[in-house]
Amino acid sequence: MTTSNQVSRLLALVPYLQRVGDADLTETANYFGVTKKQLVADLNVLWFCGLPGGLPDDLIEVDFDAVDEGVIRLGNADFLSRPMRFTPDEAMSLIVALESIGEVADPASSQAVYSALAKLGQAQGAFASAAVAAQAGSADLRERLLTAIEAKVVVRLRYAGAQESTPEVEPARIVTSDGYGYLQAWSRERNAWRVYRLDRILDVTATPEPAPERKPPEPFGPDWLERRAGVVEVEIEVAESAAWIAEYYPVREARKTPAGRAVRLLVADPAWFSALLLRLGDQVLAVDPDEALAPAKALAVEALAHYA
Amino acid sequence: MAPRKSERIMNLAICLLMARRYVSKAEIRSIIADYRDMNDATFERTFGRDKDELRRLGVPVLMGSNDEYFTEDVGYRIPRKDFELPPIEFDAAELAVLGLASQVWDEATQADQAKSALAKLRAAGVDPDPGRLASLAPRIGVKEAAFAPIWQAITARIPVSFAYRGKRREYQPWALTYRRGAWYTYGMDTSVGEPRIYRLIRIESEVVFAGEPDSFTPEPVDTRTLIAQLEPAGPDSQAVLAIRLGRAGTLARGGTPAQAAVPPGFAAYAVEYSSAGDFAAEVCSFGPDVIVLEPPELRAQVVSHLRRFAGGADDDK
Repeated sequence: MTTSNQVSRLLALVPYLQRVGDADLTETANYFGVTKKQLVADLNVLWFCGLPGGLPDDLIEVDFDAVDEGVIRLGNADFLSRPMRFTPDEAMSLIVALESIGEVADPASSQAVYSALAKLGQAQGAFASAAVAAQAGSADLRERLLTAIEAKVVVRLRYAGAQESTPEVEPARIVTSDGYGYLQAWSRERNAWRVYRLDRILDVTATPEPAPERKPPEPFGPDWLERRAGVVEVEIEVAESAAWIAEYYPVREARKTPAGRAVRLLVADPAWFSALLLRLGDQVLAVDPDEALAPAKALAVEALAHYA
Repeated sequence: MAPRKSERIMNLAICLLMARRYVSKAEIRSIIADYRDMNDATFERTFGRDKDELRRLGVPVLMGSNDEYFTEDVGYRIPRKDFELPPIEFDAAELAVLGLASQVWDEATQADQAKSALAKLRAAGVDPDPGRLASLAPRIGVKEAAFAPIWQAITARIPVSFAYRGKRREYQPWALTYRRGAWYTYGMDTSVGEPRIYRLIRIESEVVFAGEPDSFTPEPVDTRTLIAQLEPAGPDSQAVLAIRLGRAGTLARGGTPAQAAVPPGFAAYAVEYSSAGDFAAEVCSFGPDVIVLEPPELRAQVVSHLRRFAGGADDDK
């Protein structure tokens, strides 16, 4: 815990505690992102802070008996009644976070993101420059999904996977990872949590059927693929012109080779991998294991038959 | 003695904030207990550091004189109107999006900064609450090594230098954008004298700070326009495709049904595409589920792409 973090926190803590009155210790620690122990240490510093003069009446008062009972009561600090302006770092972190929310929210909430940013900009003056764009399907479908999640009902999706399907799912969360939006939902067919890319959801139809209570799914993160059953690791060597795949897909390792790049990928869906190979075409130099290449080549031969 | 230092800096901040005029160093020393106990050299050094620390936190510590004629008699103060966050109010929908904002960042530094910004808002009387948006979990991460120095260079306005596509760039970063998992920076490339956008993952060297903080003033950037520039070129051509029923949904959805002779189990669609992109490769990714009917150039490209790929299979045998 550095001093500058502590001073910055204290400057916000003093107005916060005065505004709230009797503040809950646990909740306050949570809002300020510190442990309860650290928060009590902060209060011990404040106890020695106050108006120039340093007489007992000049110092901030903290009721430590109340602190023992989990309540913070602070007095004699009217001189610090408002927080400081944002630092450029805080402003930019907040803008990026808000913009990320706007990219996956329903239309009204996206609107709220932009009006909140405008108000922040007005209060603060020059606000930092940052923007976010995610691939998260249509706002209208997200609105329908959010409504279904709130109403706790089963929905039917029309989903453009390798093959179009109409799974019945219990929607739970809308998440993003690496700039793409996903629906995390319980698949009634698979009896398991699954993720659906939002930009591949073609339609959402809510059913009147209530979704049963379930233990919430594991958080969705960059490592979700690794935790999924049936995932295989393949290495693909590509020409330098296809080095971009290491930037676009979650890769375990990418290294330069005399002919280009070798990239280790996790593959959950063989059809997805074949589509990648077909897209890359003759930029694919080698695949390990070798047999992972065969289905894509068979598909290419089949496709060529259409043009014969 | 970190608590003692925090206490001293807090008292310095309160002292300068309460002052209606510039407070001289001698007065500051007589007011704050810690400084009183120091010898001259230690006081000078410590006061200098404390003042810099406050400025680093964004506290506007001004230096000036109360007397316009005897300007050597300098002192310090913090003007309250520049220090305090002005009054701000949000409606319920805005409070909901703010309520999610602390959970978005995967990167610890930015997560702490966002949290700290929200704590300031709470201190200003704002109560963020995600409400129905609690089922939204947008996350934003960073995998680019250049991210941390570029971020710092933007917020502190420090010029940087790095290698990009084999060339050394002298650069003043103004803005950041995150598009589909990739970070970009926009700013003035002083080596060419023009604004440039760079993709952080393609920075080939370490990012070196090449100047002092506050060395430049960014021009206002319309980040929405910037994002739009990163989008692929709009469509300028039209293809007629035969798409197998129930397959290649993302392609079919972007198209409109068309009239053409197709094999059984297929339907014809007119699909717009950009000739600047690699539409042939996209079509090939669907294998035998998509056939190009028109135009002949695209048809030839697809056949050639598939032959070069499938051809390897024959060589292997």
